[in-house]
Amino acid sequence: MENYIKNFSDEVVSALKDLPVEEIAKAIDIIQATYERDGRIYIFGNGGSLALATHWVSDFNKTVFGRDAGDQHSKKFQAIRLPSTESELTAWANDIGYDMVFAGPLKNYIQDSDTIIAISSSGNSINIIKAVELAKSYKLPVIGLSGFDGGKLNKLADAKILIKTKKEEYGIVESVHGAVLHLITQYFKDYFEYLSKLK
Amino acid sequence: MIIVRAPMRISFVGGGTDLASFYRHYPGRVISTAINKYSYVSINQPPLIKKISVRYAISELVDHPNELKHNRIRAALLNLGIESRIDIGCFSDLPVKSGLGSSSSFTAALIKGLYAYIDKKIDKQELAEAAAKLEIEHLKEPIGKQDHYAAVFGGFNIFQFNPDESVDVMPIHLDFKKRLSFENHLLIFFTGITRSASDILTEQKSKTGQNIEVMKKMSDSVFDFRDKLVAGDFKTLGEILREGWSRKKTLASNLSNPIIDDIYNEGIKCGAWGGKILGAGGGGCILFIAPTEKKNTIRESLKSIAKKHNLLDFNEIPISFVQTGAEILMNSNY
Repeated sequence: MENYIKNFSDEVVSALKDLPVEEIAKAIDIIQATYERDGRIYIFGNGGSLALATHWVSDFNKTVFGRDAGDQHSKKFQAIRLPSTESELTAWANDIGYDMVFAGPLKNYIQDSDTIIAISSSGNSINIIKAVELAKSYKLPVIGLSGFDGGKLNKLADAKILIKTKKEEYGIVESVHGAVLHLITQYFKDYFEYLSKLK
Repeated sequence: MIIVRAPMRISFVGGGTDLASFYRHYPGRVISTAINKYSYVSINQPPLIKKISVRYAISELVDHPNELKHNRIRAALLNLGIESRIDIGCFSDLPVKSGLGSSSSFTAALIKGLYAYIDKKIDKQELAEAAAKLEIEHLKEPIGKQDHYAAVFGGFNIFQFNPDESVDVMPIHLDFKKRLSFENHLLIFFTGITRSASDILTEQKSKTGQNIEVMKKMSDSVFDFRDKLVAGDFKTLGEILREGWSRKKTLASNLSNPIIDDIYNEGIKCGAWGGKILGAGGGGCILFIAPTEKKNTIRESLKSIAKKHNLLDFNEIPISFVQTGAEILMNSNY
């Protein structure tokens, strides 16, 4: 049992040691630029990745500004998980097909000043790629969190956050994606705290 | 209505190596950052205006873009085949000829906005190329390409201009502490002297042959500047600027003048580690890198120097760095 636990932990640690630092820095700069132009950030994924997306949105829209929710900051982030309601998810899936559950709702919101974050361990989920292609046709910046060999998502993304693992290692990839998303939140939390102190 | 903006920039090292007369022989490189001063363009299609309406310092209403006095708007409309029913407004955070690349940021914003107007999308590389081409090839401005790239990409970057006309964009990622700390060591003053970049660059261009060794050194020194920046060694950055400025002054006779020398020398005397004229030279803005505790002394002392030279528009410009590039802020034409 102990060996089993240690093996998993070793794999996560090794993936964390190989974080694509330059690409994460690019992602942070893309988000900074989106904030400066008052654009919106759409984030989405399937299954566990959708759970990561939901978690990140709550952190990024609220927790990033500290306990008082940042009343001293006049401008905040506008992060939106897509689709934003279960009703939209099931309506698109039932009426049109699962391929359109992200691209469909994205089309409703999309504007030139926006940014997207797509999460897919395989990088090949068709519904994710369709939404990414829609964003690319608008020339929006795309942050892609992928695993395994990165798939199509890693090729299409501007910030290519690939957690390289063997195929089917969902647990490892999603654990590290969670850490990367927390890192991004923490960076901006520290940034806004630092700005408040300077004032 | 479409509202689009593009940032101006501060360029630290390598200006002039973005001229084709140099980079055809050796890769040109500049290191620069976009700042929170912008050129804004608004584009509208009012139902009752069938002609071309353009508003900037003056207002023009013409039947065909060919008749426009505003050369950048004329060229951009002709290139895109827009010949009627358009109303364009121009707004800027700072005056032209300030050395912060405002005319190129205007052109980048304009082209981005006109693409939106004809319902097309344009990516960053294409937009930077189109803006540079409009000013350099169509309007025959003797300028380099760095400002177009800085305005379109935003952020802190090294741009490398290759002999085959391609441009490599190498972003420099600074964390917020380093970014804010570097900003806090900068001082920028508008000298109140405006000049046209063209005159200076024309002379510099014609002398590229004799200047080539100096320019190679300027191009190579961007990497040193980047490494010292990432290390947070602002004192050395100041010294690099100081060396670069004295090197650059040898490139053309009108890059500096006695008033600018007076301002520059006073800044150094009051404790700045280094500085330079921003843009092509001859006037515009002057930049210093200085220890934070010396900033007030420099400010006060330069104010009296400016008074002595009767520079009524002399003023400090507070800035911060931005990641944002040429962006559409609003598009209600759907």
